Amino acid sequence: MKRYLEVYKQCMYSAIQAAAAYRMNFIISSLITLVGNTLFPLVTLLIYRAGTSFPGWSLYEVLLIQSVFTMSSGLSSLIFGGVLWTTMSHIREGSFEVILLKPLNPLFFIIATTFSTDSIGLFLGGVALFIFSVIQAGAIPLLFWLQFMGLFIAGTAVLAGLSLMMAAMSFKWVGNSRISELADSVLNIGKYPLPVFPKAVQAVATMIIPVGMVGFLPASALLGRVQARDFIAVLPCLLFLAAGVWVYRHMIRLYEGVGG
Amino acid sequence: MNSLKYNWQICRTVAGVTYKEWSAYRTHSMVSIIVGPVYFMVQYFIWTAVYGDHSSLGGISLPQMIRYFGATALIGYLIMDFADWNLSMLVRTGKFLTFHLRPIHHRSFALFQKIGHRSLGFLFEFLPCLLIFIFIFGVDMRPVSFPWTILSVLLAFMMNFYVNYTIGLTSFWLVQSNGIRSAFMLVSGIFSGALIPLDFFPHWLQVTQFFLPFQYIAYMPAMVFTGHYSLGGLELSIQQAVGVQAVAVFITFGINELVRRLAMKQFTAVGA
Repeated sequence: MKRYLEVYKQCMYSAIQAAAAYRMNFIISSLITLVGNTLFPLVTLLIYRAGTSFPGWSLYEVLLIQSVFTMSSGLSSLIFGGVLWTTMSHIREGSFEVILLKPLNPLFFIIATTFSTDSIGLFLGGVALFIFSVIQAGAIPLLFWLQFMGLFIAGTAVLAGLSLMMAAMSFKWVGNSRISELADSVLNIGKYPLPVFPKAVQAVATMIIPVGMVGFLPASALLGRVQARDFIAVLPCLLFLAAGVWVYRHMIRLYEGVGG
Repeated sequence: MNSLKYNWQICRTVAGVTYKEWSAYRTHSMVSIIVGPVYFMVQYFIWTAVYGDHSSLGGISLPQMIRYFGATALIGYLIMDFADWNLSMLVRTGKFLTFHLRPIHHRSFALFQKIGHRSLGFLFEFLPCLLIFIFIFGVDMRPVSFPWTILSVLLAFMMNFYVNYTIGLTSFWLVQSNGIRSAFMLVSGIFSGALIPLDFFPHWLQVTQFFLPFQYIAYMPAMVFTGHYSLGGLELSIQQAVGVQAVAVFITFGINELVRRLAMKQFTAVGA
């Protein structure tokens, strides 16, 4: 375990050094992502400006959902964001053997070596919007913060599971750069209050592909809107991550190298 | 006349080869069959909830709004373009030299490639999604006027191409134009009206859109499709809207040509 932590620390250090080598590119990319995130809730702002709303949700409550979603995406992207593209690139070039020959768990190696500094802007954009929204919510009891933390981690686990499943898909669907769009389209559901969707979609988004846990449920916990039964949704989140790890490792076993 | 026939033959050949080339990766295009309807479904439920008891928002009724999002999604498949990325790659790798030596203008070549690529998109993205929107979501996807909608989409196709090509031309100065591409995509995503109709924007921002290329790429053709165009307090008939769009495309072409000539003076080949 200690060795793995040491390897991860070294990989993070290398990623930061690499970003520092092209710092202008890093600064511009981060700034664009940051600005992109400030513009993302624009649709919500315009909807409320037009004199309407998501029924039962104030503007700041919806912004809170979207900020939690962005923070979770940023965190997941920092840690798991590069797994899909690196896996896809190795498979297309037939060089995945190089990873299999390393004296480390191949999945861990890919995760560690693809620490994505570009996503810092995404995460910070989410944090800024979160602070702004949470201030509007008023005083929040400690219990709600603890519930939020638990659900936030579960939501990030869902995103990690999705990343791994998409990456696993690239073992068979070789070189398809649009795989990530599949995940992005489903994730759209998590950016809005879940009650606006029909019951069937809510059930799928809570229990099967638990994208509702990415933004909606953690934000609801902060606002004191969750009920005890909502915490059951943590289980499918952890199962989803476990399924992502299992599918990825299974696909590694099916990998047929063509040289390197 | 011979020149026209010659160009038509080149167009047909380049478009045909591009179509065949990308047909090998047609499942890539078919991702849209899942992504498009899922995205549309999200929009459908969000706007149904937002409308609630309101009969109209920003002067648009709910069925019009649903039709609008259906139209922007489908138009997106017809006009999708990555000429900027392609040109940037050719400049960065030095491969642009080989195009510079060919007896065909690279811009024309890129346009013909786009025609071939989008013909494939028509079959594997546009048609399946159109059928899903009509038969599964029950959306009326008949445009108010077929000829004017087709003309407007063609103009949007050209506008998107010229704007993207101009962005790609910045690579002659910057070599790596990824930053500008990302920034443009970000701004375009919002101001083209693909996320929300421009009627919802503040008045001054709506007026600004007349002088920027974005609304001519998605908002205007989608509004021509729905048969009602208004922006910044200005109401235009379908014919007038398409006329304004044509003028905007013509101006954009002029800017593109100017930038292209400056870029060619900047070009220094490094081998291929």
